[in-house]
Amino acid sequence: MSTRRAITEPRWVRLLLTTVALLFLGCFLALPLAAVFVEAFAAGVPAYLKALSEPEAMSAIWLTLLVAAIALPCNVLFGVAAAWSIARFEFRGKAALITLIDLPFAVSPVVAGLVFVLLFGSQGLFGQWLSAHDIKIIFAVPGIALATLFVTFPFVARELIPLMQAQGRDEEEAAVSLGASGWQMFWRVTLPNIKWGLLYGVILANARAMGEFGAVSVVSGHIRGETNTLPLHVEILYNEYNQVGAFAAASVLALLALVTLIAKTVVEWRMRHETEMLSASLSPEAAGAPPAAASAAR
Amino acid sequence: MSIEIRGIGKRFGNFVALDNIDLTIPTGELVALLGPSGCGKTTLLRIIAGMESADSGHVLFSGEEATHLHVRDRHVGFVFQHYALFRHMTVFENVAFGLRVKPRHERPGDADIRRRVTDLLKLVQLDWLAERYPSQLSGGQRQRIALARALAVEPKVLLLDEPFGALDTRVRKELRRWLRRLHDEVHISSVFVTHDQEEALEVADRVVVMNQGRIEQIGTPDEVYSTPASPFVYRFLGDVNVFHSRLHGAWAEIDRSPAGLAANGGDGDALAFIRPHDIDIERVEQHGSLAARVQDVHAIGPAVRVELAHGSELIEVELTRERANGLALIRGDQVWLRPRQVRVFAAESAGEEGGSGI
Repeated sequence: MSTRRAITEPRWVRLLLTTVALLFLGCFLALPLAAVFVEAFAAGVPAYLKALSEPEAMSAIWLTLLVAAIALPCNVLFGVAAAWSIARFEFRGKAALITLIDLPFAVSPVVAGLVFVLLFGSQGLFGQWLSAHDIKIIFAVPGIALATLFVTFPFVARELIPLMQAQGRDEEEAAVSLGASGWQMFWRVTLPNIKWGLLYGVILANARAMGEFGAVSVVSGHIRGETNTLPLHVEILYNEYNQVGAFAAASVLALLALVTLIAKTVVEWRMRHETEMLSASLSPEAAGAPPAAASAAR
Repeated sequence: MSIEIRGIGKRFGNFVALDNIDLTIPTGELVALLGPSGCGKTTLLRIIAGMESADSGHVLFSGEEATHLHVRDRHVGFVFQHYALFRHMTVFENVAFGLRVKPRHERPGDADIRRRVTDLLKLVQLDWLAERYPSQLSGGQRQRIALARALAVEPKVLLLDEPFGALDTRVRKELRRWLRRLHDEVHISSVFVTHDQEEALEVADRVVVMNQGRIEQIGTPDEVYSTPASPFVYRFLGDVNVFHSRLHGAWAEIDRSPAGLAANGGDGDALAFIRPHDIDIERVEQHGSLAARVQDVHAIGPAVRVELAHGSELIEVELTRERANGLALIRGDQVWLRPRQVRVFAAESAGEEGGSGI
């Protein structure tokens, strides 16, 4: 106790720091968030609902959901496969793979979008072949999905690699030595052990997928009612001085952010809980403790 | 089921983990692989289990080729050092796992699984913990559950990696007696890895002493302790005093006193190994005894440990309390040492790390 007191700052320092932090949060996070909702409902609830039920708004919401629904399963597949190979096997190019996974974090989203235009656009590398076969990628849903995939793919893998490395191979080897096939081992042992980390990664990837602007903006072509996602829709309405419409659409995104935050907190809490269980099960504690005491300690 | 290992070799890069190992484990025996860390004992165990593949050599189960058999087809029960219990499953489900993942036509019914798991939990005396999770168990309980889980699939061989390594001393002693009794009850060929000589000597029918990827000696606990085949085994199994010695043909001497028969003959420098309890201390000089001066006397439990200086060498002698009381040794006393049992190895085979190794 005395050591804790000894390193504690004076009361006024603590108050000052707390106030600064809270003020900062208020000015730059809470205030803008509140402003979104205030502006969205400025013309009343009916106008808000009407703005959201416009065909173009509905189409933007639908497209955003569709793109997320395409990107997330791909991310789960890729993330689990990449994390598994990195955490479980030694192979040539492992370091390169780890670096590559981080690439989308390092590259500007606009550049990412541009890369796809250069590859699949009408003047691009595969442009002629694609138009000859009547396949549209740029300025269409496939392009938006590709761009979204590019910017979101590190999330799941990044979350799972350290988790799987920490857990080690023992449980999987135990499952196989007990006669489990590869699939049985994956479904019954590996997946249950990584499920919270996986969910956490998916939540982060989802938030990014639905909110992505830069990369999608480059490849979308801004065709109203067809290739506008929610963030693009917000920008268009705002540029047309349609305050209520822009902020109504923005409020949907803001709401999504809040849901993401709550889901993230819940999952983080569950993960911490499991990590505690994990560390408890690894500690070479004394085995002599009577079971009654062990259960009481929980 | 018997296990035969023929010429197994394994390298990790430049490091030779196993160097041409030959070993036969007869049906029903409990065998200890004993050695310091890094001697290859765990690698050998994992090769027997099929979790590691050997670079060369063969593994035979009951005389049949098993070298390239997959882990899941070997029917071995493996108990991991840190137990590797499935942490998201209850104790019951952990033990039932091996039965539930069997192919449909072999899989027992639910009632059958319940009965077999309950029987196993009774065997390890933990049936009252069935609904707990691994994190709610103590280390010793986890160890026994890991054992029950491995036994559930009725393995032909049981392999245990440092089974008591992560437990405290008291529990370790209890558990190893329990493992010995369990082995006598279920009687399946078992191999366990340990670096603890006491554990190996107490539990195993046969001890395989390993060092630097090679087998130094195979024998019953009594054989490896009382007639070690090499200086390494002597040093590794219990405390030992090492005297500088000279060989004259089959005879060795320490300080011009005849000390005993040499294990490998020849002429030249040699090292004589004597266990602390194989030396007697006397007040009067006799033929063949060595002069020493008492440096310290510790009473440790039932024994009394005496440290003496013999020239520049430090000697440790273990006496019974009765004997020590009769001698009434105090620091600085001039006494005479009389070795009861000596083994002499030529210096080159004893290695460079001579001196008085305790």
